[in-house]
Amino acid sequence: MILGDFGTSYTKLWDIEKEPVPRIVRSMDISCGLRTNLATGHNGARFGERYVNELTALARGAKRLIEEDDFVILDCGSRDLKFVRFSGDKVRDTGWNAECGASLGFTIELLERYYDLDYRQMSVPSTHLSVTCGVLGLSHIFDAIIQGARPEEAVASFIKGIALNAYRFAGSPPKLYLSGGLSENPIFVESMPCEVVVLGRFVLLEGLRYIASI
Amino acid sequence: MLSGEKAFLQIDQVLMTRNVGIVGMPPREVMFRLKGEGAEIYDLDALHVKPDLEITASYIPRVYCAILRTVLTNAKKMSLDAIYIDVGEGKCSGALYIAEILKGELNIPIIRTRNEDKIRFGNPICESDLPLLEKMNLITQSVLDTETLKGDLLRCEPVAGFWGVPPRDFSILSLFPPRTHIFGWTRCMENKTPADAALEQVVNPDVPTVFFAQSFCQKTALAYYLARRHPCGLYVDADVYMGYSTKAKVQAFLELNGAIN
Repeated sequence: MILGDFGTSYTKLWDIEKEPVPRIVRSMDISCGLRTNLATGHNGARFGERYVNELTALARGAKRLIEEDDFVILDCGSRDLKFVRFSGDKVRDTGWNAECGASLGFTIELLERYYDLDYRQMSVPSTHLSVTCGVLGLSHIFDAIIQGARPEEAVASFIKGIALNAYRFAGSPPKLYLSGGLSENPIFVESMPCEVVVLGRFVLLEGLRYIASI
Repeated sequence: MLSGEKAFLQIDQVLMTRNVGIVGMPPREVMFRLKGEGAEIYDLDALHVKPDLEITASYIPRVYCAILRTVLTNAKKMSLDAIYIDVGEGKCSGALYIAEILKGELNIPIIRTRNEDKIRFGNPICESDLPLLEKMNLITQSVLDTETLKGDLLRCEPVAGFWGVPPRDFSILSLFPPRTHIFGWTRCMENKTPADAALEQVVNPDVPTVFFAQSFCQKTALAYYLARRHPCGLYVDADVYMGYSTKAKVQAFLELNGAIN
């Protein structure tokens, strides 16, 4: 049984009978002929025998990993933001921000390479840029640099702005479970103004594993 | 501003009318008269011409209710002899302004009405076991009729609810299971009481319900408010078309709450 979470920048694959943990490959390196039994993610419908809605996979995976009845999970990927809020063990709200949250993760990765930054070596700034979208936010970074900010300061402020925006998008909960590629970015995680529990990049695959078992 | 009765009096001015557009639900009395005259009636809230919303950008902002932009597109492109536009509580304040624009741009009678009909015709379609898309089609078509649908409809026990206006893009409706009851303004439409605010707020707290409104419509406030207070409600708004993420939200919500497999 092969499961696949086909994201915009990265694909997570898991042969649950042969591999103890999933593996990550760049989506641009995926062969067109690849087929999985279950698939989710932006490109999932192209590769899976059966496609599972990303929000469904996220919710199912979160339920497997989180032993609480009331919680919010926020998935921050390359292209979009998704959240699911459970209350009393039921799904009370969901959101998928593919337009105003466009390309947040992708832009952050792009900026790291362009300015030759290492996010693990950078600290969380005290201020943030007011941004809702990766693409539109770029101009704020350029403006800040023109006004004298160092690139690492401007980019960190941009990431903090994105984190605050994502937090509000998820309903401003006191505690937030984070998944997706951005959950590995320390500036993003530490900029969240609430308690954060990082679940990593394979929550959707956990959801597929649950769906495969029923 | 004309009441339904005053609008009725103005019909004398357009006795030779052949092609008549309606916006919202004009009073039943007006519809009865128009049908009696043998007028061809077109619901301008629905799509009648090739969608070209850019045509409206000469008159109203692009960021505006997609239904009212559709009304303007239809009115500009169709060959109509008169338009009856409901601007009362049974429609919206946006229609009031669209009526003014139509009056300024078209050389035909634009007759404003206020539908305050009180006679209840019931909700057999809203509570039937027909697929939601079919139910919605029947209700939107019924706006042209003065009577309710004849025929046997089986009432079903609901497993889900759809609250709201008929969306501009019906594609979201096929995501719902057949046993979906309709609430909100669509329910008022079938009941032929479009200004019935109490009926519009009726919900079933026992089934997961999607509260839908057109983006930029004032009804987003009521949809949002009711969704927040419903034990299992999801608020959704959409503009011209239902995006992939909007459909995914609805599908996941229904699936995760047991309404669909």
